[in-house]
Amino acid sequence: METQATHRPLDAPETTPSAVELHGVTRVYGTRTAAVRALDNVDIGFPAGSWTAVMGPSGSGKSTLLHCAAGLERVTSGRVRVAGQDITDASDAELTRLRRTVLGFVFQSFNLIGSLTAEQNVAMPLRLAGQRPPRKVVREVLASVGLADRARHRPGELSGGQQQRVAIARAMVTRPAVLFADEPTGALDTKSARTVLRMLRGMVEGSGQTIVMVTHDPAAAAAADRVVFLGDGRVVDRLDRPTVRLVADRLARWEE
Amino acid sequence: MLRMSWSTFRDRWQVFVGAILSVCLGVALVQSSLLTLVSAATASVPPGLPPEQERAIRDGYVGAISLLGMTLGLAVFVAVFVVSSTFAFTVAQRRRDLALLRLTGAGRRQVRTLLVGEALLLGVLGSAFGVLAGLPVMRLQGAMLDSFGFVPPGFTGQWRSWILGVSAGVGIGVAVLGVLAASRRAAKVRPLEALRDVGAATRVMTASRWVVGAIFFAGSIAMLVLVATVGGEAALPLSICASFTLVTAFAAVAPLIVPLVAVPFGLLFRGRLGVLAHANLRTGVRRSASTAAPIMVLVAFVVGMAGTTGTMTEAGRQEISRDLRADLVLTTDRPVRDQVAAVPGVEAVSEEAQVSFDLGQDEGEDGLVFEPTNGLAVDPAGYAATHRMVVTAGDLADLHGASVAVSPSESGGWRVGDMMPVRLDGGPDQLRVVALLPETVAGPYILLSPDLMRDGPRRYVVRAADPAAVATGLARLGQVTTTAQWIDAYADDQQKMSVDIMVALLGMAMVYTLIAMVNAVVIAASDRRAEFAAARVTGLTRGQVVGAALAESLAVVAIGVLLGVLAATGTLIGMAFAVRDMIGISVASVPWALGSAVVAIAVVVVATASVLTTLSATRTPAIRLVAARD
Repeated sequence: METQATHRPLDAPETTPSAVELHGVTRVYGTRTAAVRALDNVDIGFPAGSWTAVMGPSGSGKSTLLHCAAGLERVTSGRVRVAGQDITDASDAELTRLRRTVLGFVFQSFNLIGSLTAEQNVAMPLRLAGQRPPRKVVREVLASVGLADRARHRPGELSGGQQQRVAIARAMVTRPAVLFADEPTGALDTKSARTVLRMLRGMVEGSGQTIVMVTHDPAAAAAADRVVFLGDGRVVDRLDRPTVRLVADRLARWEE
Repeated sequence: MLRMSWSTFRDRWQVFVGAILSVCLGVALVQSSLLTLVSAATASVPPGLPPEQERAIRDGYVGAISLLGMTLGLAVFVAVFVVSSTFAFTVAQRRRDLALLRLTGAGRRQVRTLLVGEALLLGVLGSAFGVLAGLPVMRLQGAMLDSFGFVPPGFTGQWRSWILGVSAGVGIGVAVLGVLAASRRAAKVRPLEALRDVGAATRVMTASRWVVGAIFFAGSIAMLVLVATVGGEAALPLSICASFTLVTAFAAVAPLIVPLVAVPFGLLFRGRLGVLAHANLRTGVRRSASTAAPIMVLVAFVVGMAGTTGTMTEAGRQEISRDLRADLVLTTDRPVRDQVAAVPGVEAVSEEAQVSFDLGQDEGEDGLVFEPTNGLAVDPAGYAATHRMVVTAGDLADLHGASVAVSPSESGGWRVGDMMPVRLDGGPDQLRVVALLPETVAGPYILLSPDLMRDGPRRYVVRAADPAAVATGLARLGQVTTTAQWIDAYADDQQKMSVDIMVALLGMAMVYTLIAMVNAVVIAASDRRAEFAAARVTGLTRGQVVGAALAESLAVVAIGVLLGVLAATGTLIGMAFAVRDMIGISVASVPWALGSAVVAIAVVVVATASVLTTLSATRTPAIRLVAARD
């Protein structure tokens, strides 16, 4: 934990250790003339037990930031640390192990396996880790997202909001240290979105998990602890204890 | 993991039913060919028959065995080809699912285990159905062989219980092997691909495809060169082998060829739909290549084999016309040599009689192995007078007593002075080789001394000053034809036999490839509901979507036909060179009618399958599919 403290980015205001850290991360797509800098020397830390929203116009590098931080994509230069471990050059097996134990994912397009029931989808990460999850645990997690009576349904038989809640349950079941969420409310109606945000809050407050969430929606961003604004691959602004109005104002300013 | 396999199976049933079907029919085909072959090989000739009849039945079985051997080889090749390409395709269809699993924490090994588990499941199911389906297929095959006269009447394939193991081994083994290579590739799928729509950036043309393509192409060239040197009876199996390897080579590099061929179609397909079809053709390279594969196999084999046998027949016809210096052919059921010679106007006559005997080959440790064969017993003086024949060694005039003249087209590497071990009813057990005949396509491969003729049917080849008058004179002795008629009859006979052989060889495999085409179309469409829906939301009518898919399918057929024709051309060129080397006649016969028929069938089958599947995939209102992704 000490090494982590010494490497923490200088501009990180929090004193709690960071669950995810990016040091001078650059990600370039394409080569030579067609090269695009999706991330340009980004230094950022996501404090443990907090919820950070990442905002910015389309093409600002939000999703690339999320993918690089989660080890889904290699960085061109710079270092990435997740839960105290440097994953910049981690092997596929190592990243797989992390995905099973430390990382969780929730996406706009739910990404459930269509052929499996809600229950089976939730149990999948544990099964892949070689465990035989007790049905009780799975049921409890499903109950905690309000889907106790939908365990035997397949994704196709669930509404969008319910599918997203299954996805969240799947991300919760391994109790990951860090949850990466890409537009988790993007495809949901207002009411479902509010339910999902409340659950994410519960993960942060209840079990001290860290959430990194990319979003377009000021209302979703306002549910986080702080907001980071990205523009042209750089961090251009940040906002602690956001409200919908404050986020909307900043966005309006940066998107002018 | 197996439960996971089962769930996926339930969900993606079109893909998997297609895969099971391909295994099932492949197993049925291989099992039926193998059982028929084994039954023919172990068939016993009923005791108590006269020697001639017994020999005829034995000869019939020997012919059937070599034909069935080739059928089995072909069945195995087509089954392996279709099953492995189907399985590789089903894996490629599911990239996104697999990426999603990786995202949820699946390791590479787990992805492979999943896919191999699936292949195991499909292989077991397919083999089980295949063993059952193999029984009617075997009856069908037996009936077909019987109707062509390739097996003695009353022959049927017999069930053997050990075939269960073979069939299961073939079905499961091929399915798993087909998936192994694909699963290695699939295990490399990156989790991030789950978040993107198509893994369009994935390279279809992998290094292993290059390697396989190059090796098989080189092998084909080597074999085609070899066809020219071995010639004779080995030429046909070898050129079939060359079409196997050529087809494999083309299948490996198909992803490279598809976009190349797509270019002219871009020029051809104008208008909005054309642009769409052309674009789909180019982006769905793997899909196009998979659908084109069975078409390629079908065209390559049918055109290649029909061309090969057609070329042989035509070469034989030209060889006989070139070498025969006679005007009339008389066939009789008894020796009438002196009467023929006595007919006024007869300038030269050659008495010829077919003799069946067993030819011994020294097989080293196994000692002498006898195989049935045929020779033509001739009187050397008369034969030399009516045939343009230059022996390459020895002297045909020495052909008397226990002697023989052989062509190098009959294997054995005989030299003048060698003693040839034989089993001849009531004859000597050794024949002295007195002359070597030139290479021949039409035969005879073996000339026997006139002293080995027995009573029975005879053929008299006659040169006459006034053929018409002599023909009337000969008519009372037997059936008279002009040599031109006789050669035509010979060629027709050969051609009919070639077609029969081809149907016997390819019939089942052809049906199998047709089903594989439908299979590929259905599997390809199973993945495209969302794509079709998007096209409709963009403003295309249902008819236009169907039209674009149809245009795409037709282009794929064209690609398959083109590649198949290319492979067949390679075989045909090899054959033509072989024939020219052997007998100095340049000839190549292209089976236009048969080729066109096969193309027409492929077009109809693929077009129908494409229209029906697209109609079914666009049945749901488009907006529902666009909105709901999972």
